[in-house]
Amino acid sequence: MLRLIGRRLLLMVPTLILASILVFALAQVLPGDVGRTILGPYATQQQVDLLNHKLGADKPLYQRYAVWAGNFVTGKWGDSAVDKSVHVRPTVIKALGNSLVLAGFALVIIVPLSVLLGVFAGLRRDSLLDRGITISTLSMTVIPEFVSGVVLLYVFAVWLKWLPVVGMPPDGSPFYDRFYYLILPAIPLMFLELGYIARMARVGTVQVLAMPYIRTAVLKGLPRRRVIFGHVLRNAMVPTVTVIGSQVGWLIGGLAVIETLFVYPGIGKLMVDAALAHDLPMLEASVLLVAIVYMLANLIADIVVALLNPRIRMGG
Amino acid sequence: MEDDRTTFGPDPDLEAEGRELGADPEMLELRADAAAGLKTQELQADAATALEQRRQRRYLIRALLRSPTFMTGVIIVLFWVFMAVFSTYITQSPTAVDAMHSLAAPSAAHLFGTDELGRDVLARTMAGARTVLIIAPLATILALLWGGIIGLVAGFYRGYTDEVIMRLIDVLLALPIIITSILVLSLLGTGLTIIIITIGALFTPVVSRTVRSAVIGEREREYVMAARLRGERSPFVMAREILPNITQPIIVEGTIRLGYAVFTAATLSFLGFGLGPPSPDWGLTIATERIYLQIAPWTVMFPALALATLVVGVNLITDGLGRVFSK
Repeated sequence: MLRLIGRRLLLMVPTLILASILVFALAQVLPGDVGRTILGPYATQQQVDLLNHKLGADKPLYQRYAVWAGNFVTGKWGDSAVDKSVHVRPTVIKALGNSLVLAGFALVIIVPLSVLLGVFAGLRRDSLLDRGITISTLSMTVIPEFVSGVVLLYVFAVWLKWLPVVGMPPDGSPFYDRFYYLILPAIPLMFLELGYIARMARVGTVQVLAMPYIRTAVLKGLPRRRVIFGHVLRNAMVPTVTVIGSQVGWLIGGLAVIETLFVYPGIGKLMVDAALAHDLPMLEASVLLVAIVYMLANLIADIVVALLNPRIRMGG
Repeated sequence: MEDDRTTFGPDPDLEAEGRELGADPEMLELRADAAAGLKTQELQADAATALEQRRQRRYLIRALLRSPTFMTGVIIVLFWVFMAVFSTYITQSPTAVDAMHSLAAPSAAHLFGTDELGRDVLARTMAGARTVLIIAPLATILALLWGGIIGLVAGFYRGYTDEVIMRLIDVLLALPIIITSILVLSLLGTGLTIIIITIGALFTPVVSRTVRSAVIGEREREYVMAARLRGERSPFVMAREILPNITQPIIVEGTIRLGYAVFTAATLSFLGFGLGPPSPDWGLTIATERIYLQIAPWTVMFPALALATLVVGVNLITDGLGRVFSK
């Protein structure tokens, strides 16, 4: 088990290096003249050269990459290019924390709910209930989150006035208020995952139900509840956790959209704002951090799958 | 014997290969004979399989036409395609400004109301499909093309080539698609072409994985072996022998990607990385009009519902295809 985790962590290193080269290439090499990009078309060539020298952009590429990557590893993430008084590292990390609260809140509710729906559908395979659950959850999943978000915003915040229109309470509000404000932004994120998790849980259930050991369990007289919770649910979880891991990328993309829609100060909104304002240091740092979080999330999903499935755990 | 061989002609590829291997001429002749024999057999078999394939295709099409899921999806998508092309002839102009009647509620004159510049929301909603319906299919085709080539090469050659390609693919998948596209579009600028290429490129890794696993399932089959034995070049075997046999998974993958491409294109334009105003694009409209959500919800709700129907339509097609193909 530990070897499995260790090997996967080691595998992350080359992937991360290549991903950082990708970000570096996109951000520093493709736009061509860095100084010209920052200063715009009206600056004189002298000013551009001076800035390039100051930024070290006149050095060879591999040196620039080494300096850039070294700064990232040692935590020197620099200042925002738009507002020099804003330091990148604390800003990005605080935003990441906010996003994790939002995503965690959504996942804590949606995972058990959609697994239940999926298992329920799987147990009554091909019934009207099964078709209903499958079609409605999948429709919710495929609709872009800003569409469901804006409809929910209209119904619950504007029309019924049950919930606030923004995702973050004003400063000084009590802590539990945060969750009240998080309800509305979390729902579109839940929709995003609902269909896939429910579908995998359904497929898992259908497959497990066909297994001989379920027949054995039923025939030896185990109560239905024991069969479902002890055997079906446990084994149906394996494909489900895998799909949760593979959907984390879309969840992160969803965070960018939802945080923009609900004006929530998370890393997704930070990234979008930095990209629109051409704030390179902020953009690079948040993209790299998101890449790390993404890989860790996939790793955690793999570990949970291994824990649930002895065959992988022992073989690892 | 000699005449028999000349009808099929000597196989230059095979002879070249034989020379390379340093095989003796007798051996070479034997192999050429075997290849020629295989060819006649294949020709007869081809005629039979062609008939069989046509029958199967007809059966599939009939099954699709009878699938309510698939047909509902097709009707929805065709409706939006029709609107994207012809809506300007039916509705009012999507860009005509009428400042006197801004943010007017739905009425007989404007069935869906007007937006903050007095533009007709019905006209804008109907024309809003245009950008998404240009971006998504083209990006999907690009992804299928690139992913198809990469997947074929990786799955066909296996070994070192496969290993290197798949590791690079893993790296590309290490960044979430929306995040990478934001990065690319903010640095390279936006525009239809660049959005199409970006989405196409970012969908390529997933497509190539699917194609690769389909190729791996086929490459050990007899017909591939036969093609190799009669000395066909690798590109020919990949394109003319394997590819026709993996069209079904590729079509299914294509419709899945099309759904994601609509999703991604709409999301990017909502985030501000698509086309600028006055484009009636749905994502852009929802992003710019949402500040009027409290006083004029119709400006946002109609484009939102329109986008939802299109996305569900594409996914119904995917679902229907998958169901029919897996039978």
